[in-house]
Amino acid sequence: MIKYSKSHEWAKIDGDTAEIGITDYAQSQLGDIVFVETSVLGDTVNQGDTLGTIESTKAASEIFSPLSGEVIAVNDQVETSPQLINESAMDKGWLVKIKISNPNDLDNLMDQDQYKKFVESEAH
Amino acid sequence: MINMELKKTPFYQKHLENKAKIVNFGGWALPVEYQGSLAEARITRGGCGLFDASHMGEIVVKGEGALDFLQSLTPNDISAVSFGHQQYNLFLNETGGVIDDLMVYVRKEDFYCVVNAVNKDKVLNWLVRRKPEGVDVIDESSFTGLLCLQGPQSEKVIDSVFGERISSLSYMRFKETDFLNQKILISRSGYTGEDGFELYCQSEVSSKLWDALTANNCDVLVTPCGLGARDILRIEAGYPLYGHELDEHISPLEASLDWVIKFNKDFIAKDILFDIKMKTANQKRVGFVMIDKSVPRQGYLIYCHGKVVGKVSSGTFSPNLSKFIGMAFIDREFSLVSGVVDIEIRGKFYKAEVTKYPFLSLGRKKTIKSGK
Repeated sequence: MIKYSKSHEWAKIDGDTAEIGITDYAQSQLGDIVFVETSVLGDTVNQGDTLGTIESTKAASEIFSPLSGEVIAVNDQVETSPQLINESAMDKGWLVKIKISNPNDLDNLMDQDQYKKFVESEAH
Repeated sequence: MINMELKKTPFYQKHLENKAKIVNFGGWALPVEYQGSLAEARITRGGCGLFDASHMGEIVVKGEGALDFLQSLTPNDISAVSFGHQQYNLFLNETGGVIDDLMVYVRKEDFYCVVNAVNKDKVLNWLVRRKPEGVDVIDESSFTGLLCLQGPQSEKVIDSVFGERISSLSYMRFKETDFLNQKILISRSGYTGEDGFELYCQSEVSSKLWDALTANNCDVLVTPCGLGARDILRIEAGYPLYGHELDEHISPLEASLDWVIKFNKDFIAKDILFDIKMKTANQKRVGFVMIDKSVPRQGYLIYCHGKVVGKVSSGTFSPNLSKFIGMAFIDREFSLVSGVVDIEIRGKFYKAEVTKYPFLSLGRKKTIKSGK
């Protein structure tokens, strides 16, 4: 199950853990990504907290955690090769994995159809 | 997203055809990138990039007394420039700050001044208010298109379209030529540090000019490039940009443009600048390379042993060096020695080394060809 936030992050939920990244729409808006800095292992975040920063050739953007939980894995590869996010935002460009602490957070997120409509409405 | 009131350059349709991402740049709808700024900046250093700079302002100053008038407002010596040559110069205010930087093309009949888009109206007012009897100041910006063909392969492309008369131009020289019965001005110059040409044309022929340059007549792929690549390339070259390294409150001496200031002629605020020169400027523009990886951006503070010693004016990731680089204003005493400083980024400190610029060796032509 993949859920989406209004600030253009995705969460791929697998049991009580979730992989988190930014959406393909977000990477296309940012342009070439040149720097990524995320929370580190063991950090705990609440839904909406800053999870890190992505810098593109255009600007610095904060990543907001779509879910509350503890960071249990960090994708080292995107720190050395930030362009992975441009190339594969929804897969190889994942940022962190968290252990979900509050499943109710999911109610505040969108499914794929809702997110698609949300992006279309934002683009106008 | 795109405001209908944005001004469009004569190449707007070409940008859409080439799937550009259009942004609002000082009221102009301009391409920030097509395929991506990093790729475009690499292509320009290795091949040939095509940039639309039609938003720049073109102001003609002419009439008896035009030379003296311009000389009085600018610190570089235009009288030392022959017909067919161009010169980098500055419009200064009464306190020695920079109203704008410009390129002056010296023609037999007039002076063709190319200024920044954001400053065009300000410069125009400044000139019109001060011009003496007999000097005319004419704004040609609204009907002038400007394309910049940049990169080591540019000469081949220009040769295939305009022939050797134009492709043999030396650096910082220009010629006027006919294109579809319209006069266009072509100079060997640019804002990337690479070899290249800048082409000024009337709006009517602009799309035909774009087509001619991109027609692939000579096996050189001409790649459209956006403002993002233009900014990366000018930072790699160590070129100042108004609003970053230049403004009304920074003296050109602090901006390390000493070479533009000719104290053997008279100009506005000469005494003030001479005073700064004698006492030495408080701060200097320097380059730096990040030792710790992070993106330096305008306004970030620079520390040395815990004390603020400067501020970042421009920063970027350089795709040609694979390093984060930037320019900064640093207190005089720290700028004299290369050294390691700390740059504060989102509350954390990242190490950077103060260096010289340009950050890479530039491909622009420097030598004057003999017999031409």
